[in-house]
Amino acid sequence: MQLARRQRRAGFMGLTPLIDMIFLLLLFFLLGSDFVTYGQSRLAPPRGTGGETSAAPPVVITLSADGALSWNGARVDAAFLRRETAKLTALNDEQMMVLMPAGSANVQQVTTIMDALQASGAQSITLERDVFDIDLADF
Amino acid sequence: MQLKNTRRDIKSIDLLPLINVVFLLILFVLIAGRPSTNHPAGLEVARSTIQSAHQGAALSVWLKQDDGFYLSDVKPVTLSELTDLVAQKGIAAQGLPLELIADRRATAKQLLAFRRAMAAAGIGEIRLKTELTGEAAE
Repeated sequence: MQLARRQRRAGFMGLTPLIDMIFLLLLFFLLGSDFVTYGQSRLAPPRGTGGETSAAPPVVITLSADGALSWNGARVDAAFLRRETAKLTALNDEQMMVLMPAGSANVQQVTTIMDALQASGAQSITLERDVFDIDLADF
Repeated sequence: MQLKNTRRDIKSIDLLPLINVVFLLILFVLIAGRPSTNHPAGLEVARSTIQSAHQGAALSVWLKQDDGFYLSDVKPVTLSELTDLVAQKGIAAQGLPLELIADRRATAKQLLAFRRAMAAAGIGEIRLKTELTGEAAE
């Protein structure tokens, strides 16, 4: 017996649910994503192993709340800071730099100075409250 | 006078180009974006011009604009509690770094207090989370 072959007509496929889903996905990724690139600054270096320490004395940089800088006690500007840091780190790449910000300075000011030091070649940078807190084991 | 009825029959709109564009947008967002970092509301990390890869740390501590330390969005923590937590987790013993996610408007006084307290707890390396920017905040 030969059965009659039923031919189906391809029906119209509703695209609305698909479009809804795609828009929901788009919204999810748009809201859930972050387009900012994050990095890290070293607030304090890994502690040294207690071996050889640098022969050069650390440079003490103070930062006041109004952004004024001093280099071993002498008032300097940011250009001087970059220039002298580059000179010192060219001679000794382990030159210790101690940044002592005023308590009322803000985190952004500290980060900006640390950036300037790092961009000038300094690798051993640490934050201290005052000179008596400097611990050579930190370098 | 009777105007001629100009209503046109609405024909089906071809939706394929729309779907293509939306798929392309999804791909763009997927590739260019990354999952949100869930910083506490209102926290703005310091801007930096130094390119450095962001790495995970054994413990992340938030320092908000109100100069308070937090372990999560709403859980305030004191420095002595943090010191205890570091000892409890053995972070110093393993030589692992800590991450500080500080608001750029918080004071350096708290930054220094955190640095001192963690140094006393045996933590050497502290990483400050920054937002990479082309224009450094002066």
